[in-house]
Amino acid sequence: MNVVELTDVTKHYMLGETRVDALRGVSLGIEKGEFTAIAGPSGSGKSTMLHMFGCIDLPTSGKVVIDGTEVDRLSDQELTRYRRVKIGFIFQSFNLIPVLNVYENIEFPLLLRRDLSPADRRERVMRLVKEVGLEDRLRNKPNELSGGQRQRVAIARALVTEPAIVLADEPTANLDSATGIRIVELMRKINEEDKTTFIFSTHDAHIMREARRVVNILDGRIVGPAGPEGN
Amino acid sequence: MGLILKLALRTIGRRKGRMALIGGLVAFGTFLVVFGTTLATSAAAASREAIVRNFTGDFILYAERSRDIPSPFAFNTPLPAIPNLDSLEAALGGLPDVESWTAYAQNYGLIQVEREGRKLDLPFIFYAVEPSSFGKVFENVSLAEGSFFGARAEGKATPIADPAAAEKGVAISLFQNEQYLKNYGVSLEPGEQVTLLGITEGGVNSLRSRLVGTFEPRKYKSVFNYINFMDSASYATLYGFSGVEALPDSFNAGLAAAAGNEDAIFGLAEADFGSLDLGSLVAAPLSGATMVAVRLKEGADVDAVMAAALAKPGLGVKAARWDAASGFYAQIASALQAFIYVATALVFLVVALIFMNTLIINVVERTGEIGTMRALGSERSFVSGLFLAEALILNLGSALVAMILAGGAILAFGKGGLPLPETVSQFLIGGGPLALRAGVLPFIQAFAVVLLVSVLATIWPVRVATAITPLKAMSDR
Repeated sequence: MNVVELTDVTKHYMLGETRVDALRGVSLGIEKGEFTAIAGPSGSGKSTMLHMFGCIDLPTSGKVVIDGTEVDRLSDQELTRYRRVKIGFIFQSFNLIPVLNVYENIEFPLLLRRDLSPADRRERVMRLVKEVGLEDRLRNKPNELSGGQRQRVAIARALVTEPAIVLADEPTANLDSATGIRIVELMRKINEEDKTTFIFSTHDAHIMREARRVVNILDGRIVGPAGPEGN
Repeated sequence: MGLILKLALRTIGRRKGRMALIGGLVAFGTFLVVFGTTLATSAAAASREAIVRNFTGDFILYAERSRDIPSPFAFNTPLPAIPNLDSLEAALGGLPDVESWTAYAQNYGLIQVEREGRKLDLPFIFYAVEPSSFGKVFENVSLAEGSFFGARAEGKATPIADPAAAEKGVAISLFQNEQYLKNYGVSLEPGEQVTLLGITEGGVNSLRSRLVGTFEPRKYKSVFNYINFMDSASYATLYGFSGVEALPDSFNAGLAAAAGNEDAIFGLAEADFGSLDLGSLVAAPLSGATMVAVRLKEGADVDAVMAAALAKPGLGVKAARWDAASGFYAQIASALQAFIYVATALVFLVVALIFMNTLIINVVERTGEIGTMRALGSERSFVSGLFLAEALILNLGSALVAMILAGGAILAFGKGGLPLPETVSQFLIGGGPLALRAGVLPFIQAFAVVLLVSVLATIWPVRVATAITPLKAMSDR
């Protein structure tokens, strides 16, 4: 069953007076539990595709279905609520909230939901803290952590809501190669153990090799084999 | 809410320098509102009290035919005498809210003294006052030596219970006596015999009299150091305010019948009214009073009592409130209040602009952070709440500190009074330190102003912040 499904999706926007066609009729399906890399050079459209998966951008035309919901028909507020529940984000620049410590950053998405007791929140946060190996850094602020540690916090934060998919936008771009590989290994381990769907963009060949499926994109089109549902 | 407060508090802590600047400005503005408003309202109240208790009463009644508004500070044009003083006083006695009144006049004359066989004419301006009632209305005389027309209580012109027991003569200010010494080489001694010279339309009248005492004005020394006192009986004699108490009925009836007809009036000289009984004509001094100052009971409505007094028929008077009769003195406190309000408004305008600018800078700097929050599922209301919370915590916190400081300053100066430069103090409240009167209203006003400014200054930055999309989190490298 596809947890993500794009059908003939196009996206264009204006850059000054120039029209940019970021996606040109893309169709793609990603099944639950996949560990998929979206690969392509800068400007190829991989980030735009990730934005569609993450409900933070809507297509100019075509259909986007995330976990059974056609998201291009949702209002801004509905999209916000949908993201809160269904999607976890891992950012290239980590994007931790600077005034919150490790524990609080991971807990942040749960506090927005308000549907868990403090005890349940703590249990979830501590389980993920152990999983990413940051038990001894709970009270540290982001500026007191290394790049790898920050990205581990971001992974835990993305997973804490138990989302349908976790999106990672070039998660290793700001890390040295060894740390980058360890981060991807961690994501893959979680994917294998918890069956969480991971979709990440990258143009690093070493990282791509860790993916079980690679969707190549060039000039807004998927090129090469993209799996059973791809074009 | 807990999350928003936590984020807001820590964000303020993270931007200490910038926030300290804003907090300092808000605190300054708040202090200005609380302390300034208290200062202005205290000055207004003290100004009113000083004017009412020392120079005008709550209002002044004066002759209807007078062209000028009476002013205890003006001696340029003596007002016409009040025509029916007895009737007026009887009418005032019937008004329940009237506490006391006193009739008086302003004029100028000469005190003639003899030194080493040489006569010296010393000019002086004075109030002609009723010793029996002046002290009931005014408290401006602080006795230095001698008496105040018989009153000898230390430092106060107490009313003389028995008018017949009042001493006649003049009382001069210590300053006036110093001026005599400086300009004429003469210093007058209480008890000293003097000749008073009054300048009237008919010429110069003289009256043997004595200096009953010297005094110092309590308030408005810059003006009242130059003003002296004469008892009303001496004044009436000196200036020729005397006549008969009543004319024969037949003469009065003839006058009434001839009213408006000039020939008929002159014809009265030829008429036979019967032989006038000269024994029935009783000479009586008239007051010559040009003003009656009226003091009201605590809480009485000045305008209502004034209207009630003027409603009595046949009195031939009109009225001026204390603030009209005191000229620009009463307006000084109002001007101070207006100045403080304008200064406060300007300070808060600057605060609002700087604060709004700072918030915009914060929003720009935190674009990635806000985008991240939005990507993770924070609604626009969460972002609005966050910025509003930061504004309110910072501004209301700073305002609270300023209110405590202002409250402390008010209490500290409340007892001994706020020392003011003497010139300022003289014009504002008649002199001396200004006692600050603590009230709740300035604190409520300050709170409302800070709240309003915080909310208004946050509107635009919040609009900018909530327009940030989650895409910014992805694109913020």
